Amino acid sequence: MQRSLSRVLPLRTAVSTSAGLASAAVNFLAAVEVAEYAGGQSAWLAIVIAGCLIVFAGANFAELNGLFPSAAAIRVWIRRGVNDQISMVSSFVYLLTVVFVIAADAFVLGHTFSRAVPAVPALFWIVVLLALVAWSNSRGIKVAGSVQDANAFVLLGTLTLFSAIVLWRSPHLGQYRYFQLGHHWFEAIALGIFIFVGFEWVTPLAEEFQDFRAIPKGMFMALGLIAIAFGLFSLALTVAYPHSAALRHSLIPQLLVGMRALGPVGFWWMTVVTLTTAMTTFNGGLLSASRFLYALARERILPTWFSRLNKRLVPENALLALAVISLGLAVVVYVTGQYLFLINAGAGVESLMYALSSILVISLRRREPQRVRPFHVLGYPVVPAIMSLLFLGLGVEALLTPTGRSGFPWAMAFFLLLLCATISYVRWAVPRLKARSRRGTSMTTPS
Amino acid sequence: MTLLEALEKFVSECNQNERLRAMNRDWTRRIQLEPDDTHRTHHLVSEAGIVSAGSGPVDNPDMLIQAPEAILTAVFSGQMTPTEPYNAGDLLVKGHQDDIMRLDILSLLIWGE
Repeated sequence: MQRSLSRVLPLRTAVSTSAGLASAAVNFLAAVEVAEYAGGQSAWLAIVIAGCLIVFAGANFAELNGLFPSAAAIRVWIRRGVNDQISMVSSFVYLLTVVFVIAADAFVLGHTFSRAVPAVPALFWIVVLLALVAWSNSRGIKVAGSVQDANAFVLLGTLTLFSAIVLWRSPHLGQYRYFQLGHHWFEAIALGIFIFVGFEWVTPLAEEFQDFRAIPKGMFMALGLIAIAFGLFSLALTVAYPHSAALRHSLIPQLLVGMRALGPVGFWWMTVVTLTTAMTTFNGGLLSASRFLYALARERILPTWFSRLNKRLVPENALLALAVISLGLAVVVYVTGQYLFLINAGAGVESLMYALSSILVISLRRREPQRVRPFHVLGYPVVPAIMSLLFLGLGVEALLTPTGRSGFPWAMAFFLLLLCATISYVRWAVPRLKARSRRGTSMTTPS
Repeated sequence: MTLLEALEKFVSECNQNERLRAMNRDWTRRIQLEPDDTHRTHHLVSEAGIVSAGSGPVDNPDMLIQAPEAILTAVFSGQMTPTEPYNAGDLLVKGHQDDIMRLDILSLLIWGE
């Protein structure tokens, strides 16, 4: 469809949406974990390598998005490229990544504010701020696109500027090894994937862009900006605090960099940036995920309870369910302190999704060779095949990375449990839901 | 049933429903339907709470909907929810997501779950 529309989004929004969705507050803690596995100052290298690999995943998403430019995105691509059941299972698991990120950001936000305002407990901030965003969403209040645009650029700009100041002021820059990733380099890269989680969530906006090239361009530019900002942040952090053991117990690394860069002004600026970043994550995550649940309920994959609308035409039940699950997970993480579990699980699930995106490119080239593709991945089929194996390895590695002293891979255990539960639901519950609501029409859509 | 007949049925349901008229009062949109098999373009226009339909293209559309004509007919006659072909990749839309959601909500309110 090439006719011009009355309202379309610009390239700037593609860049800011992609960068903004990937730039969660929990990325600060992920950078610390990457530094731990990379052996300190070479953490930036692990992040940049992860970013370079994700460019290939970005190319996969660009081809799939050009093929089926739909807000249903992965639901459509997997359905057409594999089958309906795998599509449903993947969609549910993918949706959970959004909940992971919301819960993790709530954890970071709580700790940031409890440091900034020690008289108020962190749990209070978590509950109040999540409830506030859920309430405003249910009232149909939306954060303007320009605010979201500005927030993404302010965060990345702040990280770049503050990190540069910290590095400039460091007297012993020459004494560190910046290119030595050490024995745990594969784990470091696997966890570095988490820094970029969500960059591809701009693809559901495909319907709002007139120029199909805006989304691939936006994703690639965003990946570059994220790699620069968080690469510099991890470098500044590890130079300013060379002993990773000291950082390991810090839940506010961004405030440390802010303080080191500009003193109290930097500390409070970083506090505000953390707040706006987390609130943007809550808002964007709850808004898009609740609409996704609504669509699944309309398709009879979930009970119709999830498609109920309030008088402002907001899918209130879906929103409420997501907010409650996110809050519950955030509280459990806060009480147990096991935030690494969310980072490892998020990085693992996302890497597996990148592996699947390569498989989908190959599968759809064979299944629908005649369909118009505005964007083609480079090196088909060799490069997508190699990338699918590489991301599969990185995903398994991230899920197997221990999250506590016991060394038990809780992220993998949780992922397998979730996968079994989702497969059971799709196998047994969905056919019953569909049968119950069938209207007796002969019109069906292809699986 | 032809696509035009389905659209006229949809328009009639919208305009007879007081709640929908109130809901659409501030929703002025021009929607172009493009069957990708027959290429017989149709349109819907919503203005001041009243919806109208017709054959042929519309000037400066806010939304473009592309699907096989049988699917468009099924969707606008209430035989199928828009979400089913949409999530299968058989129905593609260009436009603002709020407008796409609004169209789905209209079909939900007319024909139920």
